[in-house]
Amino acid sequence: MDTFKDIISSKNPTGISDYFSLYRRLDKASRENPPTYDKEIKIAILSSFTSNGIKEALYVKCCALGIFPKIYVSEYNQYMQEILNPESGFYRSSPDLVVLFIDAMTLWGDDYFEPYRRSDASRKEWVSEKTGELESLIGAIKAQSSAKIILHNLAVPTHSPLGILENKQGFGFLEATEALNGSLRETFRSDRQVFLFDYDAFCASVGKHNLTDHKMYYIGDMKLSLNHMPALADKYIAYIKPLMSMTKKCLVLDLDNTLWGGVIGEDGIEGIKLGPTPDGRPFWEFQKYILSLFERGVILAVNSKNNFDDAIKAIREHPYMVLRENHFAAMRINWEDKISNIKSIAEEINIGTASLVFLDDDKLNQEMVRSAYPEVLVPVMPDDPSLYLKTLMEIDDFNSFQITDEDKNKGRMYAAQKQRKEIQTTATDLTEYLKQLETKITIEEATPFTIPRISQLTQKTNQFNMTTRRYLEEEIRAYSADAQVIVLSLKAEDKFGDNGITGVAIIKKGTTQWEIDSFLLSCRVLGRKIEDAFIAFIGEWARKEKATRLVGELIHTPKNAPARAFYQKIGFALREEDSGKTLWEYDLSREFPFPDFIHLNRKD
Amino acid sequence: MKRLKAILSDVLEIDEDSINDETSPENVETWDSLNGLVLVTELESQFNIKFSMEEVTSVKCVGEIKKALEGHGVVLSE
Repeated sequence: MDTFKDIISSKNPTGISDYFSLYRRLDKASRENPPTYDKEIKIAILSSFTSNGIKEALYVKCCALGIFPKIYVSEYNQYMQEILNPESGFYRSSPDLVVLFIDAMTLWGDDYFEPYRRSDASRKEWVSEKTGELESLIGAIKAQSSAKIILHNLAVPTHSPLGILENKQGFGFLEATEALNGSLRETFRSDRQVFLFDYDAFCASVGKHNLTDHKMYYIGDMKLSLNHMPALADKYIAYIKPLMSMTKKCLVLDLDNTLWGGVIGEDGIEGIKLGPTPDGRPFWEFQKYILSLFERGVILAVNSKNNFDDAIKAIREHPYMVLRENHFAAMRINWEDKISNIKSIAEEINIGTASLVFLDDDKLNQEMVRSAYPEVLVPVMPDDPSLYLKTLMEIDDFNSFQITDEDKNKGRMYAAQKQRKEIQTTATDLTEYLKQLETKITIEEATPFTIPRISQLTQKTNQFNMTTRRYLEEEIRAYSADAQVIVLSLKAEDKFGDNGITGVAIIKKGTTQWEIDSFLLSCRVLGRKIEDAFIAFIGEWARKEKATRLVGELIHTPKNAPARAFYQKIGFALREEDSGKTLWEYDLSREFPFPDFIHLNRKD
Repeated sequence: MKRLKAILSDVLEIDEDSINDETSPENVETWDSLNGLVLVTELESQFNIKFSMEEVTSVKCVGEIKKALEGHGVVLSE
């Protein structure tokens, strides 16, 4: 019997009929012999016209990524009924992801053809009326479902009965369509559940004049030609990857013929192609875009077969090199094979190989890494360097649903970590090393600015986390408003850079006994006695408010081994022991020792 | 004809040898209206032609598809 993986690898789909036939085979196989994928997603597609082909293309693409999808498609043009009826098949499908695809023609109705039978004022009203309608549809979905929602904006038409005078109107037809797009963007800008998909930009990239196969539209109300469905499914996949925790975090780069043209060992620093010339510009601009990924938080690393001295000289001294040593969190410039370099890069940065993307112009290296680590994304690099930038821009694996300031700095923080490790190897003992780091911590109560990050840390921190309680932003906000609860964030800096907010504590105040509900530190700053300083700060506060006991809970999880010895080590006494859970108590008549090499900034 | 048969067999999931001029939605279960449109899209992109709406709505069997293709200058050798 065909398994899912056999079917997927049997054919590389090109035309739309390939997607239909693969879909039929996969769907049949899923009934006879459901796949054992560990990732599953339920998707619901609600659209205002015949959207055949989206489901099939999306299904095949999900399977190819190792995700088993269940896709619900609303009945033809019944999106409104489905959304408004809490008993509908749409809600019964209990989706993780909802796509709401309503097209411009549907929203304009006959005014799409006769836009100027309306007045300027009435077109303005149309914008606020349609914003309101869409907002309330989305509101109805949100009331029933916590699924992420992808809302299409409108493809701005290319026709106007007024021709060249279109832009001379008080409030024109195309302007009104653009205004609705702007108003939707504004409405959902800070909504964590709703993501406005720029369908207009998608249509422009496909070519608005190729969008519709007009006979298919008249025969079957297909407003988007079947041929474009796979490309549209790719756009949805960009949302599915972060939803399935498949976000890539680190870009591993080759040097020769990847970051610059030519071979540094042969051509020398003057001979390689990089900079404002026709053959240097593709590499120069490629590097500029990589830098912009670094700025959004992507970690960078080098994996190159070269003499270290030749390559590092180019990285340090080439006038048009955009990426320098301080951008890389790990560098493997040696004659080892690229596979073992990949492994040691992942180990040094301390991330899984599944978080890596590897860019190398050499087909053999690509294939070697691909087969040794199928979980590493190894894009096929085009032979022509002028297409490098386009290839890079099409990688949609770095997406996440929100970016905190800490995320944006991640590339920088990991690169600084590399320098920290370098002094660690030169410092003779640990205390000496910790002194040299010049660690500064800032502890403050939660503010509207820090609450998203505090919530994110409770969600993401697994290792040094005493209780592993996960909190949504709303819950943190409620705690922070409660006078009996203290929510603290800890920010750590050292001479190599700012690690941002990397610690959280939630303390429930009592009269004599204070209880630690949550206490966690990101593994990035572990091993620097920051946790000792943090608990000392809390103890000091409790003493000031006349508490006599500080009580800490330790809940065992498969991942929090690094946290388990902490309370004991710092001087807490065991009070209670239950299965998988211990309660620890500290007598506040004793002071906590504060590590003297950590500088504490107080912010009250 | 070989190329046309391959496309038909692919889209409709039928045996190439079973295809003849009389093959039509009447005698092929998988040839429903959606697959009909997929077939049109596939023929257009493989032969690099565009059918008119009239052609799409009037063609009733494989023999008529062949005629329509020939009308667009496609040479179907046996």
